[in-house]
Amino acid sequence: MARATVPARHGGRPLHVRGASLCDVETPEPPTSPTGRRGWDRRQITVAAVCAVVIAAFGVLLTVGLLNRGVNDSINSAIAKGQRIQAPAFTLPVLTSAPGIPAAGKELSLSQLRGHPVVLNIWASWCQPCTDEAPILQTIWDHYRAEGVYVLGVDVKDLTGDALSFHHSYGLTYPTVRDGEGNIEGPYGTTGVPESFIIDRDGRVAAALRGPLSESGSSANVASFVAVLDDVIAEPAGKA
Amino acid sequence: MMRRVAGLVCAVVLALTWAAPAMASVNILALEQQLQCPTCDTPLNVSDAPSALRIKAYIEEKAADGWTANQIEQSLVAQFGREILATPPKSGFDLIVWIVPTVLIIAGLGAIPFVTRMWTRRAKHVAPAAGPASPEEIARLEQELRRLRD
Repeated sequence: MARATVPARHGGRPLHVRGASLCDVETPEPPTSPTGRRGWDRRQITVAAVCAVVIAAFGVLLTVGLLNRGVNDSINSAIAKGQRIQAPAFTLPVLTSAPGIPAAGKELSLSQLRGHPVVLNIWASWCQPCTDEAPILQTIWDHYRAEGVYVLGVDVKDLTGDALSFHHSYGLTYPTVRDGEGNIEGPYGTTGVPESFIIDRDGRVAAALRGPLSESGSSANVASFVAVLDDVIAEPAGKA
Repeated sequence: MMRRVAGLVCAVVLALTWAAPAMASVNILALEQQLQCPTCDTPLNVSDAPSALRIKAYIEEKAADGWTANQIEQSLVAQFGREILATPPKSGFDLIVWIVPTVLIIAGLGAIPFVTRMWTRRAKHVAPAAGPASPEEIARLEQELRRLRD
């Protein structure tokens, strides 16, 4: 096929004609940058780099935020596999004390209770189910304290005065620590209150109850909870 | 006599003006807007969560006891931590939350003239659209096409 060309007009402008696909026509030059060079100039590259860094930073922050919002499922996963993982450590101020526990206002670390089975109960005074289960926890404390068991309440996201009133009005004598910011909730994977955990003598989580202790109805779970506690009490320390 | 009465009135007005801030009650709604519900992370004034209702009642109790808004806020921060504040404090490391957006907005506004100039300059460099072909060019094209067909 013969080659047909259409010369450019004066000034270097290309000629565009209908039906030019029938023949080879000189194609127009690709657009050049304002500086006359092809591709991006330095300023455009800088702007693009800054935009890329900002977008990447937002992406990282978003990812970290979303990952941290997820509920920590490590305790549940371990228990489901028949394993026990170390209970997340904490040090919190004592709200109401008991024998063997630092005085109110002093700090208590979970590690100080190592060697004792612990029933850890996360609660708040504004939580109705906590009201219902408080007498059950008091009964467990009364029944098992002679065997070295500690029932330890962790009052979360609550007014100090309300928490103290709650303790007094229900005649609770087991110790409670205060966690106003609710920092314990993340490591323990709590999704609400109340939740209870049984921690063995070696500081490992043997049971996690995601909800209130209940003695009656279809949700009765006290018997099974106490059965695990009995097993933990029977175990010697250093079983791990 | 009139002068004495006028002086007395002025003294009373001044005393009332001076005492007014001390007597002003806490703006509860404004304080609630500055705080957030600890269990639902929404502003306290729009939250009906049980914990939020208790904190609202606490604010009203303390305001009735004569506490200032600042005293109530500090008391709540002591009990719940700084996460109860709907906006971070304008001091210490938290200041970065206020500085960064301000700097970015100023930088963005400052960049507008430069970006506009860059776009304008680029528009000037863009070649104008090709005009209609001249009669000579069309004749030449016709000739080439005819030659191709033959």
